[in-house]
Amino acid sequence: LSEIGKEIQHKARELLETGQVDCVIGYEASPRGGARPAFVYEPDDADRLIWNTACVHNLVTYLHDKKKPRKRGEEPPRVGIVVKPCDSRAINVLLAEKQIERERLYVIGVACDFPPKVGGDRGGAQSGTGELPARCARCGDRTPVVYDVLLGEPPEVAPVEEDYADLARVEDLPPAERLAFWLREFDRCIRCYACRQVCPGCYCTTCMFERDDGLWVDMGIELPQKHVFHLGRALHLAGRCVECDECERVCPMELPLSLLNRRLVREVETLYDHRAGREEALTPLLFELGEEGSPL
Amino acid sequence: MKFTTLDDLRAWLDQLAQEMDLVAPRNVDGHVLYRPVASSNEILFDYERPELSAKDYLLPATEILLRIEKQGNEVTQEEVLPDRKQVIFGLRPCDANGFAAIDALFLEQDPSDRYYQHHRERTVLVGLACPQMWEGCFCTSVGGAPDDAAHLDVLLRAVDGGYAVEAVTEKGTALLKGLKTKERKGDPPPSAADAELVEVADPARWRQLFEDKLWMRHGERCLSCRICTYVCPTCRCFDVTDRVVAERGGVTRSERIRAWDACTSTNYRRAAGGHNSRPTKPGRIRNRFFCKFCYYPEDFGPLGCVGCGRCIVSCPVDIDITEVMRDVAAR
Repeated sequence: LSEIGKEIQHKARELLETGQVDCVIGYEASPRGGARPAFVYEPDDADRLIWNTACVHNLVTYLHDKKKPRKRGEEPPRVGIVVKPCDSRAINVLLAEKQIERERLYVIGVACDFPPKVGGDRGGAQSGTGELPARCARCGDRTPVVYDVLLGEPPEVAPVEEDYADLARVEDLPPAERLAFWLREFDRCIRCYACRQVCPGCYCTTCMFERDDGLWVDMGIELPQKHVFHLGRALHLAGRCVECDECERVCPMELPLSLLNRRLVREVETLYDHRAGREEALTPLLFELGEEGSPL
Repeated sequence: MKFTTLDDLRAWLDQLAQEMDLVAPRNVDGHVLYRPVASSNEILFDYERPELSAKDYLLPATEILLRIEKQGNEVTQEEVLPDRKQVIFGLRPCDANGFAAIDALFLEQDPSDRYYQHHRERTVLVGLACPQMWEGCFCTSVGGAPDDAAHLDVLLRAVDGGYAVEAVTEKGTALLKGLKTKERKGDPPPSAADAELVEVADPARWRQLFEDKLWMRHGERCLSCRICTYVCPTCRCFDVTDRVVAERGGVTRSERIRAWDACTSTNYRRAAGGHNSRPTKPGRIRNRFFCKFCYYPEDFGPLGCVGCGRCIVSCPVDIDITEVMRDVAAR
């Protein structure tokens, strides 16, 4: 077990023993190798928690399951959660959008030591590839943006120059070819909604793409529905996507969804100088459009 | 054994592709999937386990059941189902066993599902044995084998210099008439089936564990996505809806479609009025596994799992059906 793994266990045990939280969300070893999300309720269970390069999942998405009390009449649970710098940005978005309460949350921030230990395991669908996730390759954040305790020493790294170079491979295409590229990708989609389900920012009770009355999109698993779903989802995340790339990681058909999201990340950054989750702030797209003083 | 060369096999498949719908494993942007092919050049002969099952070709992800046209008070309805024969080539034995499991409900219960039955009758299953078991596979634990011929029409096995050919059914024998084969001495060697066996607890055991804590442990990290059910060769839930496709000149054209649904999704059990009788992840995960190992065998006979392992390798949060099976057996 890593040093940080021990510290996470220690912290989780302490939080549960003192009753500061009812549950700690962290990572445990997966029987198939790698890591997977874990929910710990008892202090003695804290020993299950681990920390290694396979802990890729953004656990913030699980906070949506903790918004309601477990029993009627009770308070919602207080939750401890292990976050990396990339994950922590989603907490800021959810706080700004009043989805979670800061005082019910204990954030166990872990300094990110990617990329020195390239290798290990990405977990889940891509387990065992040993490749550094693309999101890590372009990320310079080593300290979470929100935390109550910081574990590990953030390494000194040169700031990463954001050039959106990853977008070039589609943006350099003429429009017709770009459309063909996306239709080919969307065609592989099986409409399993894993991208939406894993996304901390996708928490609508009724997704407009899954309405029973099919008002916007019917239930068919065909190219037009998939096309509209992916473009619509990306737009709904404009200025809200924290670039954790979980949608891309979980996609069983490996759709390059980060290209859609980051296209809009750049748009919002250019227009509003806003990058989701860096601060506790709402997406300016919903509030500044056309108003006086807007950069538009 | 009957033997054929790869060249003769290709010639036969090219002929089939002319005469009927041919579905076979293909490389689709780096993913091995059963897909329609126009010639044998597109077919993979050396592949592991296609990432999705072949159920799309007997129970399409989206199927138009009726075309409806309305003009004034005149309503016409037309049923549209493809008539062409269909061959699924390179089907892995687990996927054929998946069809057998679906048959138990969709064919052998009264009434049968006529759309599924229609596709079943027009389709011939030509299997290619897995030479070994792949990551996550546990077919041998649930009554299958990497070279199981039980629910195929034809089984091919890769052997030195070509393929051993076995006609399993009359449908298979008829289809094989166009394939050049010769007799070769000896039998093909069996596939390596050395994966560790997972105990399958009987339905009564499962029922005792309905309220057990293990559903919380396995289900809480579920994302409520649909990957496991959509990659599964036996998951067969669907939903039905009508959609308008065009309104022009006083004529409304609509379609009645059915499309795959998934018991793991949040709204699967939501009823009129908004009540959801299965609102939690652990409850939904429990239902999925109970369906496979308790309800389905009790109600229809076969297990609802053929051990293909797809749900295991594709789950983004490592929910592992064999881990659940072991936990149930060990309780």
